[in-house]
Amino acid sequence: MRVAVTGLGPVSSIGIGPAPFAAGLRAGRSGISEITSFDASGFPRRRAGEVREFDPHRSLRRLKPEHWGRSSQFAAAAARLAAQDAGLDVERLPGGPERAHAVIGTTSGESVAVEAFTAARVADGFAGIDPGLVAQLPAGRLAHGVSEELGLAGESVTLATACSASNYAIGYGFDLLVSGEADVVFAGGADSVCRWAHAGFFRLGALAAQDCAPFDRDRDGILTAEGGAVLVLETFDHARARGARIYAELLGHGLNCDAKHPVAPEWTSIARCIRIAHGNAGVAPADIDYICAHGTGTPANDAVEARAIVEVFGERPPPVSSIKSLIGHTMGAASGFGAIASVLAIDKGFLPPTVNWSTPDPDLAGIDPVPNVARPATVRVVQNNGFAFGGNNSIVIFGAVR
Amino acid sequence: MTALRVRGLGVLLPSAATPGDTSFPDRPVHAVDGFDVRDRLGRRGTSFFDRTTALAVAACADALRDAGVEAGPQQPQDRIGVVLATTLGSFRSTSDFTRETLVQERPYLVNPVLFPNTVMNCAAGQSAIRLGLRGVNATVAGGPVAFLHALRYAADVLARGYADLMVVGAAEELSPHRVWSQALTRGGTGAACGESAAAFAVIRDDGTGPSDGTGLRILATAAGYGPDGRRAEALSGCVRRALDRAGVAAAEVDLVVTAETATDDHGQFGAAARVLGHRPEHRQVTARFGDCDAATCATGLAQLMLDRRAHPEEPGITALLVAEGVDGAAAAALVRSPQCR
Repeated sequence: MRVAVTGLGPVSSIGIGPAPFAAGLRAGRSGISEITSFDASGFPRRRAGEVREFDPHRSLRRLKPEHWGRSSQFAAAAARLAAQDAGLDVERLPGGPERAHAVIGTTSGESVAVEAFTAARVADGFAGIDPGLVAQLPAGRLAHGVSEELGLAGESVTLATACSASNYAIGYGFDLLVSGEADVVFAGGADSVCRWAHAGFFRLGALAAQDCAPFDRDRDGILTAEGGAVLVLETFDHARARGARIYAELLGHGLNCDAKHPVAPEWTSIARCIRIAHGNAGVAPADIDYICAHGTGTPANDAVEARAIVEVFGERPPPVSSIKSLIGHTMGAASGFGAIASVLAIDKGFLPPTVNWSTPDPDLAGIDPVPNVARPATVRVVQNNGFAFGGNNSIVIFGAVR
Repeated sequence: MTALRVRGLGVLLPSAATPGDTSFPDRPVHAVDGFDVRDRLGRRGTSFFDRTTALAVAACADALRDAGVEAGPQQPQDRIGVVLATTLGSFRSTSDFTRETLVQERPYLVNPVLFPNTVMNCAAGQSAIRLGLRGVNATVAGGPVAFLHALRYAADVLARGYADLMVVGAAEELSPHRVWSQALTRGGTGAACGESAAAFAVIRDDGTGPSDGTGLRILATAAGYGPDGRRAEALSGCVRRALDRAGVAAAEVDLVVTAETATDDHGQFGAAARVLGHRPEHRQVTARFGDCDAATCATGLAQLMLDRRAHPEEPGITALLVAEGVDGAAAAALVRSPQCR
């Protein structure tokens, strides 16, 4: 059973919908701005990738925004866009709504609701908290928001595997499709900009002062960011029977765990994960035309990721770029945006750039970060990397339709 | 999806308790009595564990030991993984970390060492570190249905050959945050808030191999969603699919284990009984152990195993586990507990 990607739903700071998002990637547009979603005046660093244009009332058809947290809104809006892009009539699925699943990844779930809960607790104590706010807290609602918005009756699962969670969701979607459990899976991730993550990354020394500059010698960290990224995955049979456009084939995925440190990545483990993904997808290193990097822009991540890549691919690996330079680190949505960028690279024939890049890092010898300007290319096979706290590594592989 | 065989159990069951802390509302609670992370896991590497993580790590370690698997950081295992169920991770850790950004003189004066505890995969990641488990490591957030989602996830991992053994579990800690959340949304009608952790070492059940009498088989799991308030319909569908996949007749089900969040609510049992066409014995996990959110179903499954071990002479039973989550989420699992030979 082969798996087709037939719809893309990015709700990002550089564009909402596949065409604006693709244009943003190609232009190397930055979605970074001064934080307005919370009072950041007490922080020495105040920039993030907020999705300012997002209007849930306009994006959502069935979901009532007042009953759902921001991350669920992002997930549902992204899924709605992806369904439209796929031309999928979710009211009349041939196999019935039970065969359509929602699998959504996240790092912090309804983080904005948790913050509002906590602010109310600080102000008035637990007893004064609005029960309507408490109802918005469960992280499982990210997938439920998708199921509710589209009327899907299949499994509705939220995978909380932090910053590689979208790749986990895409991988699980792949398995549900190839094992005959599903006809259609809406897979991706969502997260929201929040004060606590901003504080945490700042105190870890992982927050950039101005720009996120992955693979640059002087890179100084991430910028926290938000959004929703969902892909429509279908079996080839299902897609072909309804005459759908197939962007790309999802070839396979790989998962493993560092089992070493709660936050520091580990290069041998990442190299092992790359090999697992290649094996699952039936590809060899020489087949990969482009690596959509995890590329957070922290000194540690990029060094570890580059070392693992060189270990597997040798001294001349394929081009490796990071879209986090454009949209920041969207946490649980990050590898979902990476997946959408990977599919667009195949479909439109270009490599998204790593912007803010100026100085080569001698420790990253051999890495071509596609500096600053998008590059036309024939892209047949892409590797999309996702790594996370907890050593949760997840890599997915997409290929051009043969 | 493939059937699973349970090879080992680790469980920390709660009992009725009185929180000695005035930040709790005046409601009954169930807590894991006498659990101390240092006693159980030692001082090293555990000083920043929150209680959710500590309970989860202890349950996972016990499950592997019970299965006879040597595990530890000195002997890493690439073919053993972990999947844990949760609602929103350690709600206390996350909310208290957030609180610091509001009450400190500067919003960034948080303790960075506590930051990983705010991320929902903390318990699964620490279990992997502690036990040297380098296989698939996942966390499923879904409240009451999350453990059944986790069983399905583990079944997929094993069926696809990504791992040889998975530790599937759930942990929820007692905190004022959780008790207040239940009190605010359920008023006076809810079950007591419960704390619990349980983990199961599972492998593929290929239908062969010895039955040691105490081993449980998870014959089938099903999960679904009922949009527009059709959750009960979704639950009925899950029960039907679970029976269908397992090839088990409705009449064979001896026991229904449910996760209603109020003890006078028998809605889940009623829905299951309607599909089954008869009224088997009913066991409500929350009545005995409190509402343990993501750990409720895991606790129910653990109780089945403990019963079997306590009474190996009794005939085997077929049990149906059901749960409803928030919004339209529902799930079911069909479990067979064999007689001792």
